[in-house]
Amino acid sequence: MADFDGYRGNSLEFLMRSEAGVGDMVEVGTEWGVITGTVVPRYQYDDDRHIVLKLPSGYNVGLSIDRLKGLTRKSSGEKPAFAPPPPPPSPKEDLPRVAILGTGGTIASRVDYRTGAVHPAISSEELYALIPELSEVARIEPEIIFSVYSENIEPENWSRIAERVSEAVAGGIDGVVITHGTDTLGYTAAALTFALQGVPIPVILTAAQRSSDRPSSDAVLNLVGAVSVAGYASFSGVYVAMHDSESDGRVALHLGTRVRKNHTSARDAFKSVGVSPAALWSREGLEIHLEGLPQRRKAAKFSSKPRFEAKVALLKFFPSMPLTLLEALANGGTRGVVIEGTGLGHVNSKNIPFIRRFAEHGGLVCMASQCINGRVNMNVYDTGRDLLSAGVIPLEDMLAETALAKAMWVLANSNSIEEARSMMRASLCGEITERTLR
Amino acid sequence: MKVGIEVHQQLATKKKLFCSCPIVKSETLPLQFERRLRPTQSELGHIDPAAVFEFAKGRSNVYRWNPESSCLVEADEEPPHKMNEEAIDTSILIAQLLHSNLVDEIHVMRKIVIDGSNTSGFQRTAVIALGGELSVEGEEVGVQTVTLEEDAARILGEDAHSRFFALDRLGVSLVEISLDPIMGTPEQVEKAALYLGRALRSTGRVARGLGTIRQDLNISTTGGSVVEVKGVQKLNLLAKVIVYELTRQVGLGKIAADIKKRGIRRVRCTTKDVTDLFRSATSKVLVKSVKSGERVVCVSAEGLAGLLGYEPYQGIRLGKELAEIARANSLGGVIHSDEFGRQGVSKEEAEELEKAMGAGKGSAFVLVAGDESKANGTAALLEVRLGQALGGVPAETRAATEEGETRYMRPRPGPARMYPETDVPEIVVSPRRKERLFEDVPVPWGEKVKEYEKKYSLSPELALQVYDSEFAHTFERLAQGTRLTPSVIATLLVEIPVRLTREGIKEEKIGEEVLVELVHAIDEGRVAKEAAPDLLRVVGEGKAVNVEEAAKFLKLKRLGQAELGRIIDEVVRKNRSMILSKGEDAFSPLMGEVMKEVRGRVDGQLVGEALRLRLRKRGKGKG
Repeated sequence: MADFDGYRGNSLEFLMRSEAGVGDMVEVGTEWGVITGTVVPRYQYDDDRHIVLKLPSGYNVGLSIDRLKGLTRKSSGEKPAFAPPPPPPSPKEDLPRVAILGTGGTIASRVDYRTGAVHPAISSEELYALIPELSEVARIEPEIIFSVYSENIEPENWSRIAERVSEAVAGGIDGVVITHGTDTLGYTAAALTFALQGVPIPVILTAAQRSSDRPSSDAVLNLVGAVSVAGYASFSGVYVAMHDSESDGRVALHLGTRVRKNHTSARDAFKSVGVSPAALWSREGLEIHLEGLPQRRKAAKFSSKPRFEAKVALLKFFPSMPLTLLEALANGGTRGVVIEGTGLGHVNSKNIPFIRRFAEHGGLVCMASQCINGRVNMNVYDTGRDLLSAGVIPLEDMLAETALAKAMWVLANSNSIEEARSMMRASLCGEITERTLR
Repeated sequence: MKVGIEVHQQLATKKKLFCSCPIVKSETLPLQFERRLRPTQSELGHIDPAAVFEFAKGRSNVYRWNPESSCLVEADEEPPHKMNEEAIDTSILIAQLLHSNLVDEIHVMRKIVIDGSNTSGFQRTAVIALGGELSVEGEEVGVQTVTLEEDAARILGEDAHSRFFALDRLGVSLVEISLDPIMGTPEQVEKAALYLGRALRSTGRVARGLGTIRQDLNISTTGGSVVEVKGVQKLNLLAKVIVYELTRQVGLGKIAADIKKRGIRRVRCTTKDVTDLFRSATSKVLVKSVKSGERVVCVSAEGLAGLLGYEPYQGIRLGKELAEIARANSLGGVIHSDEFGRQGVSKEEAEELEKAMGAGKGSAFVLVAGDESKANGTAALLEVRLGQALGGVPAETRAATEEGETRYMRPRPGPARMYPETDVPEIVVSPRRKERLFEDVPVPWGEKVKEYEKKYSLSPELALQVYDSEFAHTFERLAQGTRLTPSVIATLLVEIPVRLTREGIKEEKIGEEVLVELVHAIDEGRVAKEAAPDLLRVVGEGKAVNVEEAAKFLKLKRLGQAELGRIIDEVVRKNRSMILSKGEDAFSPLMGEVMKEVRGRVDGQLVGEALRLRLRKRGKGKG
């Protein structure tokens, strides 16, 4: 059965009439002569008036089916079958064991130059074959636990990861690496920090800003750094491991509660906010930059608290924000709202009655700042004081994204709204710092 | 022989191909970052041999940049923006000029290049048109493809650890035109390139200046592999490079025949670390290596004794091929057994080596020194190359040198190194776009040259020289803006610089700025046009940076009327008797004598007029 990946409508019909599909070698007649090539896939939303051929030179060209003078199938395409990769180096028995949990995106991949498709490497053998240096670092145990674009991650995914980490700890693993898309990596890191409080080993989230099929990908350095730290670091806890600069050299380890994606595309998009990175890793070694990190412990008893309350909103205040927005959230069953207020923690004072009513009815309302840097202080202006009296909890210098994950976790792991409010005020995992240093 | 040629021409677009950076050559590069590129694996576990070669060198790439000419797209820190419309238009125009057939949809591809010259590890490239032909003095040369691609980063240098690149050129639009292989003389290939260049320039939409057009060649002789020669920057080197490469290929064929004559059907090689043999060696180079902690690795090849130094043609030796591979791997070179004596390896050492290698009689030995991984890695490549000696010409990518030779760069890339650039959507080339551009198809260059002849009264040769030069636009501007005749301007801009380069002065030393300054200086009477060659020579030799300084250097000062009069008087006085005897005929020898005194300081025409006047006056006085 021919494969028509991405073709639809007229171009699909055209190919079917000629009994040719993706991967087939064909000859097409054009106004200027005959061209041979391989039919390659089209993108789903492309028009249906063209077919795409890969020429023997390797180039793809699009040809209008309206101008083609027929198409003949010369030979059927070989299915892109993966031959076994070159024999991987096998790791030494005395190396630490590190689990690599895949949640989406690709850690490493191979390109099918015939059609242009990118195939992820899944098994440890494939990973060792593509990144041979991993075999000198650790005995890795890769596993895809789910495959979701990071923008589609939901609290239930966090729960699944937390449970899987806890099982791996029970199985005596030395460290865990979680690969994840970059978009919501900061949220997941914060969520896991709360769900995995007291985890005795390092849990390192890592990702790539350049996909792993590219020679310039940052995935390899990030992954090797993450696996090294997971296997050998003296500390435990949840961290994000990503490039420290635009250079391939150092990988920064950011506290899961203090990290934010601050750039859409650069390799060093992730930055620690208000604190320095916890540590910097390079092939030369690991430098610790924060004091008081929890120490790695052996065979400690550990259980995660993986539940989250999904009905929490993160609301960025903006001029002209409709007063009905908060009300609609409350009516929709929202149990908590983290407001990203202006400056020191403000919203238009017209909203205050709605906030008061929401809090009085047992809702959790917290205030972070949209300034990103600095600390909310709601005692400086009248509006701040009014909001406090309406029941808003000021979150000090907690990042808004962290606050959302924390509120979700707190609401699922407290017995009363009072307890939830007091948990929000406390720094459980370094999410609030006492001193503002920049 | 068969020579395929690919011409890469930079386009004169306002912005780069995949971002909005302007096209500027940055003098300073204050920012930098460092990267490593990895070969990516294709289906079937296949990794490109060229990519592996580059990665095995273990070097990092250091990129230097200036925000005036590059942004995060060049740094591979941001996805490419939409493809530049102006560049697409220009490449469509060029395709039409070559009667090449436009594709209906342009698909941008990633061509894997991991020598570091692209931060992404691939070059973005797209086919614009297929087929077509170029007319070269009435004969048609087939066009294979017209592609639009991004230019690579400019290499600044390298050391043992890193290669250094500037990002300013990365991402500039290039049109690449591949011609059908030409089975003619090297001069015919050069002519085809020349005609193609003229056609490209006729659009008025391509960049001018050194390095804006580069030629790659695919050269093969009967039965041999295809060798790719990259980066011939000067057209007048093309034929020379082709002749060198053909000589090399035929020479390698002769060496192969000699190996076969010895009854060898397979070259058997052995590699061993022989550092200990050279701890107190007689060869200074080897001792220095060993003392600094490097390893000496030996590759022996059975039956090849005498063939590494054998020179079927001058400068063509197997030993040189091996040394080039070592150098491409950033080692100093190799020492082989046919030159042991000359390189200070003693007889005793050679015997020890033979024993240690356990190689049979008639073996050749190649020594390479470097740090452990590099020495061993290079030795493995040398083994491969020695094995290929039986086949004559291995498939390689070579670089053209400024001397018109070629040197080894890397193995030839495999075919499977292209996949779609998913960050750039395909572009439909609408029939309307083709029609709109059809009106912009330029007048053929031949007509433009004729126009020069007519409008500026230039000789056909000078008109063509101006058209072919970098300074066609400058010429037009100066012809309008100065009082000098167009032929004087053309001579200054084109003829004199060409004459000076034949004397060995580097073309790039005499830039447009200097030439324009010269034209204005002559126009304003600050220097005489007779001084032009001397002035430019002084600048070309680096003794002055501009015409004003060159004039000071030559102690040229414009002569005033009074001083010229004094000099003429003096000459006339000295030659009184000759003037009496020769009368009018004395003019020429006198003129010669005066010019000897004043050359370059005053226009010859003025001298002639003044002298004639003086002689006439004298005649009258007498009468």
